[in-house]
Amino acid sequence: MIEIAGVSKVFDNGTVALEGISATIAAGEFLALLGPSGCGKSTLLRLLAGLETPTAGAITWAQGRPKAGEIGFVFQDATLLPWASALENVALPLKLLGRPRAPAREAAAAALAQVGLSEFLTAKPAALSGGMKMRVSIARALVAKPKILLMDEPFAALDEFTRQSLQEDLRNLWRRTGLTVVFVTHSTYEAAFLASRVLVMSPRPGKIAADFASTVTGEADRRDAPSYTAFVAEMSRRLRGVMPAREVLA
Amino acid sequence: MNRLLERIAPVGFGVAVLAAWQCAVWATGTPKYVVPGPWDIVTAYAASSGELNAALLSTLTVTFAALAAAAFLGVVLAVAMAASVLLRAAIQPWAVALQVTPLVAIAPLIILWVNQAFAALVICATIISFFPILANTAAGLAQTPAALLDLFKLNGASRWQTLLLLRLPSAVPNFLTGLRISGTLALVGAVVAEFVAGSGGFASGLAYRILEAGYRLEIPKMFAAMVLLALAGVAIYAALGGLEYLVLRRRER
Amino acid sequence: MNRLVRIATALAACVLAAPAARAADKVTFGLDWVAEPEYGGYYQALATGIYKKYGLDVSIVEGGPQVNNAELLVAGKLTFDITSNSFLALNFVQQQIPFVAVMAGFQKDPDILMAHPGVGTDDFAELKGKPIAVSDDTRASWWLYLKAKYGYSDSQLKPYGFSLAPFFTDPTDVQEAYVTSEPYLVQQQTGKKPVVMMISDAGFDGYASLVATSEKLVTTDPDLVKRFVEASILGWYSFLYGDPSPAFAAILKANPDMTPGLLHYGYNALKTRGIVDSGDARRLGIGAMTDARWQKFFDQMAATGLYDKSMDYQAGYTLQFVDQGFGKPKQ
Repeated sequence: MIEIAGVSKVFDNGTVALEGISATIAAGEFLALLGPSGCGKSTLLRLLAGLETPTAGAITWAQGRPKAGEIGFVFQDATLLPWASALENVALPLKLLGRPRAPAREAAAAALAQVGLSEFLTAKPAALSGGMKMRVSIARALVAKPKILLMDEPFAALDEFTRQSLQEDLRNLWRRTGLTVVFVTHSTYEAAFLASRVLVMSPRPGKIAADFASTVTGEADRRDAPSYTAFVAEMSRRLRGVMPAREVLA
Repeated sequence: MNRLLERIAPVGFGVAVLAAWQCAVWATGTPKYVVPGPWDIVTAYAASSGELNAALLSTLTVTFAALAAAAFLGVVLAVAMAASVLLRAAIQPWAVALQVTPLVAIAPLIILWVNQAFAALVICATIISFFPILANTAAGLAQTPAALLDLFKLNGASRWQTLLLLRLPSAVPNFLTGLRISGTLALVGAVVAEFVAGSGGFASGLAYRILEAGYRLEIPKMFAAMVLLALAGVAIYAALGGLEYLVLRRRER
Repeated sequence: MNRLVRIATALAACVLAAPAARAADKVTFGLDWVAEPEYGGYYQALATGIYKKYGLDVSIVEGGPQVNNAELLVAGKLTFDITSNSFLALNFVQQQIPFVAVMAGFQKDPDILMAHPGVGTDDFAELKGKPIAVSDDTRASWWLYLKAKYGYSDSQLKPYGFSLAPFFTDPTDVQEAYVTSEPYLVQQQTGKKPVVMMISDAGFDGYASLVATSEKLVTTDPDLVKRFVEASILGWYSFLYGDPSPAFAAILKANPDMTPGLLHYGYNALKTRGIVDSGDARRLGIGAMTDARWQKFFDQMAATGLYDKSMDYQAGYTLQFVDQGFGKPKQ
């Protein structure tokens, strides 16, 4: 679906965020970008979204560059408009695309139902918990029926219980819809639970250190499966290999 | 009980100060044409209430006209400066220069050029009061969360859509803060302009009444006009603060 | 011989001792405008040492736009000040403020309205309904008289910026001025003489440039007041009939915006129009005031409704320091 070829990104201040990234993203897969901070995973995501352009190399889409509204993006912070209701926030992409009002509101209501927030259509963000705001953000990313969903550490700021609950809902959503998802995370547990494929990245400059399919099996009680624990251990091993050597305190 | 005490504390303090003032005036035998006591001021107000109220209305009209003009000018310039780095570089130094130029120096020139008393006073008051609105709104526009800007970009929003649906609504709290500051500045501007340029033709405002009472040695009346002015300033500040509170509350509930 | 020597020594001792016997009284004197020839007498008294001879250490405090020396006077910060006209002097009575006029600097009020010739604004009656620019303190004094007499209204008022610029740019401009100064400046700038309407011709016939002080000073130290009045009268006498150059130098120093041309014009206008020394001053000396003329002024103002007829106007002035033939002008 997407071909990333020899992509590098150097920022204006001289930081080399990514160097020589090459990979192919297949339609329908759940791809996790896993790595420590500074490895350029968020930058890679932004390049895919078209929010930045590569300094070298190219990103090619098999079916042509996505048009407005065909990429759904979920940020680390829910970033909702504080003065608008949940329904209005979710309907925003459709409004920007110029869709008529009534169908847009219906689609927004449906998206909110998909994330389990039908009771909160008129609530404003101040009245919602962190987890609920994130669900609204996800609904907003899905409302325009995007071709791909890009997520930048969306659950990092939430507590453990909310995070696990949202991870389950996200995985179920993916299995139901078959949407292509690229998910940035620094958590091996999260990558193990959600992804069908993992790219491990190393920092400074950002490079791909490892690329392998998930070996986790089972859906029900996924976190208790032995394959889950084994996969977590495997990724942790790979991650330790790419972490910068720690200085011993003298 | 404590909340009640908090509420009446300023009133209680005010009453105590007034009582002390009146006693001081009595005790020292200060004549009322030097320093009038609160009672003299009240009676002077009562004797000329029609005239002073009309003057207050006149000054307030200039103030609110100037505030509206300042709000419009401040927002338009802030949007222009946020839209283009070139415009920002071009406008910023002039806005600051205009702000620091003393009104007493330029007011007579403005009166001369404009030749219509009300318009000239409004222009003077607008010059003094537009900058806080400009600066605060510009700051608000600049603080639009980058993630939301990205979101709008991803969904193909036009520049107008981004301005009207994201940047401006996002800057509303900052704008309201600027408005609150500018409210009292507009009042000061209206009064200074009238003092410096004199008023005529258009109904006289409080500044003129203060001067006139001074020339006629009607000192208690002069103080009464000044008290009215002070009360007007407090009321404007409170009203704009209340507006800010109501708007922000409605926004996020 | 010894007796003569002793008398001579005693006399010499007296003469030498006398000046050292008392220090000069400090006096502050507020003007109602910036230094100009219209205060020539006072500056002459200062510059030629007349005040000093009378045992007075006088500091002159200039007025100016937006400056209200009357407030300083009643607050006790000035010993004397110039009250612009009889109308303002009666404010003291109206507001029950214990201050009085002690001498009249001008027998004629030099205030005028100045207009352009040939545009239908040639006399007071024609000005009804037309825009007129007067200062804030005029609005509190003779404007009220003109309003009452000619039916003007406040809606005609234009802001007065103490500047001739509007007069030069707008041919319909009418503004207040002094007959001793602005007409000169207009003629200098445009080559044409402006229309001059003297308010004394309109019947506003009170004194102008009066010297006022507190009743308290008059009662507790009348000698000080007398010395100040007499020294001032002598200053005017010297200024008008002697050599005015010391006063000119002092005025030019105090007011850098003054020009020698304007100074001389004002000086000549004061003399030719008899502003200081005409009428009762010819008999009674410079600074003269009479009960008769005060009464006539009060009756005129009361007739137009500006004063209550029962007001005790005589409380606003005292004749005890003038009218003694001191400083009678040369005939």
